[in-house]
Amino acid sequence: MISYVHFPVLAVMGIFLGAFLEEIFGVHNKAARQGILVATTGIAFLLICALVKPVMFDGEVISYWMGDHVPVSGYAIGIGYEIDQLGLFFALLVVTTSLLSSIFSLRYMERDGMLGRFYVLFLMLCGAVLGLTLTGDIFNLFIMIEIMTFAAVALTAFRGERGFALEAAFKYLVLGSMGSSFTLAGIALLYLQCHTLNMAQLASMLHGNMTPVSVFAFGLMLTGLSVKAFIVPFHTPAADAYAAAPTCISMMFSGMVNKAGVYGVIRLVYVIFRAIDLPAMQVLLAIFGAVTMFIGVTMALAQHDFKRLLAFHSISQIGYVITAAALGTTLGLSGALFHAMNHTLFKGLLFLCAGSVLYSVGTTDLDRLGGLSKKMPQTTICFLIGAFSISGLPPFNGFASKWMVYQAIYAKAVESGNFLYALITVVAVVVSVMTLASFIKVTQAVFFGQCPVSCAGAKEVPLSMRIPMWVMSALCVITGVFYNQVEAWFLRPAVSAAFNVTHYIDVMMGEGTAAAFGISNVKAAAASFSYWDPILWLLLFVVVMAATGIVIITGARERGRILTPEGAEEDGKYATFFSGEKSLPSHVSGSDLFWGFKHDWKSYFRVMQGAHSGIINDYALWVVVGGAIITLWLTVFVR
Amino acid sequence: MIYMNYIAAVILIVMGLYTILFKKNIIKIVLGMSIVDYGINLLIVSTGFKEGGTAPVFTIREFVAGTFFVDPVPQALTLTSIVIGACVDAMALALAVKIYQQYHTTNADEIRRLHG
Repeated sequence: MISYVHFPVLAVMGIFLGAFLEEIFGVHNKAARQGILVATTGIAFLLICALVKPVMFDGEVISYWMGDHVPVSGYAIGIGYEIDQLGLFFALLVVTTSLLSSIFSLRYMERDGMLGRFYVLFLMLCGAVLGLTLTGDIFNLFIMIEIMTFAAVALTAFRGERGFALEAAFKYLVLGSMGSSFTLAGIALLYLQCHTLNMAQLASMLHGNMTPVSVFAFGLMLTGLSVKAFIVPFHTPAADAYAAAPTCISMMFSGMVNKAGVYGVIRLVYVIFRAIDLPAMQVLLAIFGAVTMFIGVTMALAQHDFKRLLAFHSISQIGYVITAAALGTTLGLSGALFHAMNHTLFKGLLFLCAGSVLYSVGTTDLDRLGGLSKKMPQTTICFLIGAFSISGLPPFNGFASKWMVYQAIYAKAVESGNFLYALITVVAVVVSVMTLASFIKVTQAVFFGQCPVSCAGAKEVPLSMRIPMWVMSALCVITGVFYNQVEAWFLRPAVSAAFNVTHYIDVMMGEGTAAAFGISNVKAAAASFSYWDPILWLLLFVVVMAATGIVIITGARERGRILTPEGAEEDGKYATFFSGEKSLPSHVSGSDLFWGFKHDWKSYFRVMQGAHSGIINDYALWVVVGGAIITLWLTVFVR
Repeated sequence: MIYMNYIAAVILIVMGLYTILFKKNIIKIVLGMSIVDYGINLLIVSTGFKEGGTAPVFTIREFVAGTFFVDPVPQALTLTSIVIGACVDAMALALAVKIYQQYHTTNADEIRRLHG
């Protein structure tokens, strides 16, 4: 029986080994291919889950030096893995997403060729993101980011017979490698300052000794990781790549690739540079987060493609996570992590539903879909659960986490007296309403209404595709109802770990290192976790729905008397106008449901659609400008 | 400190970024990406330089106390970074070829089926 301290590195290496085995055995043999895939992701899942008890519940932080190269006289010379509660929290999201996505892909990808190579890249992506969450070495983090970007770009281009997949992959590669370059430049400057690459040692050395060069490095690294998290000026490749990639990959992009960026930002800001106490840092991230959520959701309202719409919602939800994490309070970070987890669950679920629609109908164009609820009842129910979760209806998980986020931002507004946070609270609530509106449009356009000819042959998807959908639906409900347990078992340890920098340093560099550098923990306001009761809100929701139902039923007699040509034939009064012709069934198409809103905001949409021009140079300009803003802001305000 | 290297690194990075931002040919954009990479490689390898140090290549017996050599870690990082940069270029050029086959152009202004 090997000790559990080896589990994290075994999980990462197991996945990469699986990738090589796929290349050797899986290219021609279907059974071997699928067996290796499910075995490696399943083993990684079990290994990471086995760490929950020692790390999450018993509060141990695991340090693991590759080749047993332990620090010599206070200097880290080897590559170290350090698994604290924050990293394990994200690692759990990664392994869950990769296991469910691999099960979904078994049938979903059956019509594609070159599947051996597909799964090589698939496993490289899983392994890279898992390694990124577990590593304690900043250059190792960069390597994992690069493997992740590579695999993600190649997977985006996988269905390259459709030209736009190549286009999306190229844009993702250019912007992704710009992000990686910024990160690498930051790492180089940081090495110049501290002569170490270990995160714990960097954290100990940077505290209180921020030189202008290390602040500049901070700005570059924050820009690079924000590109990976798809925060707004850097979000443009996300929308293209999510829509163009095969759906099981879109689910992984939204469930773990952008979470990797979010993890990087949190690790950088909270632990390595410990800049989260500075009001200027909080304001910068909060503004970026608020802009991200607003632009994401408004762009989603203007979309015609199911998956592209979900991609913009994904960007918008990351805005919530970043805003809440920016506050620097325990409640804020709890809300951020909870929402990140819920986003993995419900957005993964929604992408799987979109993939099921694509699998059985062959299109994701909202204007050519409709009436699928009768053909695909289980997919419809799963989609509704996902849509209710993302829109924040009780008792689903989105409600719980959004409520935490609102309360955290508002508490911050009260505490700091900064009007900006009050404004951001309003933006967050409005964005939530617009998310709901957008999902009403999608539900109406895809699952209800009339069924066009293109959807006539749709069938429910196979069982192995429905299992991941049902698992995710169940998790959406469970985490929404048992939010107290989620908070106590997972969020509280992870949040404490983010604030407990001294322990992070001491575990890696030896007891007393943090004290020797004069580091005490960041003071975090005591969190009040007595916030909401979803059951009461559910009751309110039921009452409102019942009232609406009564109004509809009592109004039904007058309602729905349609003056159609059929009616016209009865009394003959309108026959002149219709000349006896039968009217065609009219389908309110997905893009038209909110035309009034879009009309009122047309100047805004014109600007935004002009900005999302699809030209790679413009997107690169956004990245450079965003990076310049972050770097300048930090140089001026962070000392 | 060798200031010339740092200045050259920054000039290379800025030139590369200029190419990405203002050149419309996607092959040139790929070249811009690799110029940024070269600049960063120069930056990293310069961080390990020490005036008068020897190459950090020793056998166990040669290694005695007081040996003065340049920092080997940035050289290892640079090698890694060069390999990664080469892979990025290869992949980007492969994508550019495929895009040319589908779109019959290398002009970035015309490769915009995904927009809005």
